[in-house]
Amino acid sequence: MQPLVNLFDLKTAVPGLVVIDSARSGESNMAIDEALLQNATPQWPIVLRIYRWDRPTLSIGHFQRIQDRQGDPRLSDLPWVRRKTGGGAIVHDQELTYSIVIPNRNSQSTKGHNETLYRGIHLAFLENLRKLGWSACLSESCTCKTTAGKEPEAFLCFLRRSPVDLLVGRDKILGSAQRRSVTGLIQHGSFLLRHAQTTPELLGLLDLENGFDPKQHVENSSSISGLKITKNEFEGGLDPNWKTDSQSTQMDPWISFFVASLKLGVSKALQVNWQNGKLSDLLENLDCVVAGRN
Amino acid sequence: MSITPEQLRFCDSHEWAYVSDKSAGIATIGISAFAVEELTDLVFMALPKVGQTVTAGSEFGEVESVKAVSPMYSPVSGTVVEIHSALVDNLESLGVDPYNDGWIIKVKMSDPSELNQLLDWEAYKKQCSH
Repeated sequence: MQPLVNLFDLKTAVPGLVVIDSARSGESNMAIDEALLQNATPQWPIVLRIYRWDRPTLSIGHFQRIQDRQGDPRLSDLPWVRRKTGGGAIVHDQELTYSIVIPNRNSQSTKGHNETLYRGIHLAFLENLRKLGWSACLSESCTCKTTAGKEPEAFLCFLRRSPVDLLVGRDKILGSAQRRSVTGLIQHGSFLLRHAQTTPELLGLLDLENGFDPKQHVENSSSISGLKITKNEFEGGLDPNWKTDSQSTQMDPWISFFVASLKLGVSKALQVNWQNGKLSDLLENLDCVVAGRN
Repeated sequence: MSITPEQLRFCDSHEWAYVSDKSAGIATIGISAFAVEELTDLVFMALPKVGQTVTAGSEFGEVESVKAVSPMYSPVSGTVVEIHSALVDNLESLGVDPYNDGWIIKVKMSDPSELNQLLDWEAYKKQCSH
């Protein structure tokens, strides 16, 4: 295992770039994330990339076998791509995806703790969702099977439970997974807003509005730093015609919520000076060919 | 006879190497107790094949814990002569005895002097305490 920057040891704020990307193919999304990780250097900013997928797509965990999707015929027709991170498979449809790449920094301690970032981000979503009236909680349970276990774990990520997974009621709506490398750490996460047509049993946040109090929502909406969201805006769900870049000031309210929660979560692990950026600017500095792929 | 950490050489990326017979030039490789603790519950390990060459400082396999995939880096260069295939189905043994039952691969070293670049137990302990 490669030494990882000790997030606790960062005394001063480090630069961070928020990239709100356009919707892309699974292959392109994963190639971009891999390029950002492989090319990270100690001088490179932390990159927080928010994105969607240009069609419903199955991403499978690094060690999962693609043939295992045959156990669920509904998944067979979906385009698929393998993630570099672990965990279970995800149907990317009515959801938002993030990746965050934290470069290793030579001057830092050589040990790290992956739980810090993971827990920080999930707690931030929990706090912000509660302020808006959702009964969010951490799973505090684990379905993970070590090799001593007899039964394989569920193929789909949102059917699995690990202690820091974020639930609303009994339904998991946010899951994340990480990968360490010689250049840094990447964490992927998926925030489920509505069920996918392929997997209607996996409810998203907006499918779970029974516990949602619109009155409390409106009253509390201004209490979340950086958010200006009205009740009407929330009811719309995700913009179906996702065409965005980081410079947009009229972002989908869910993107605003997503970015604010991610920034808050990262701030629980380390100090970051965030700026908005464009993927094209980043990729121009990388010797890679993913910029034009979609 | 049981191997103790004092007999090992360590990478700063938490892999260890042990050479019982220098004339044979074979290094046994694993990951440290510190690494196993950091990784928490292990669920999968991917290993190289016998005959595959490995390079000091380069990845020879991967291990997945509940929420993270981590590469494992070889402390020495050479050719893989044996893999601990039973370990893949019993990763819990890494937590019980990472320096004996938890060995991962054996490598016929191409340059045994690379061992001199590794940390001894005292230096490794010091690194982990930072």
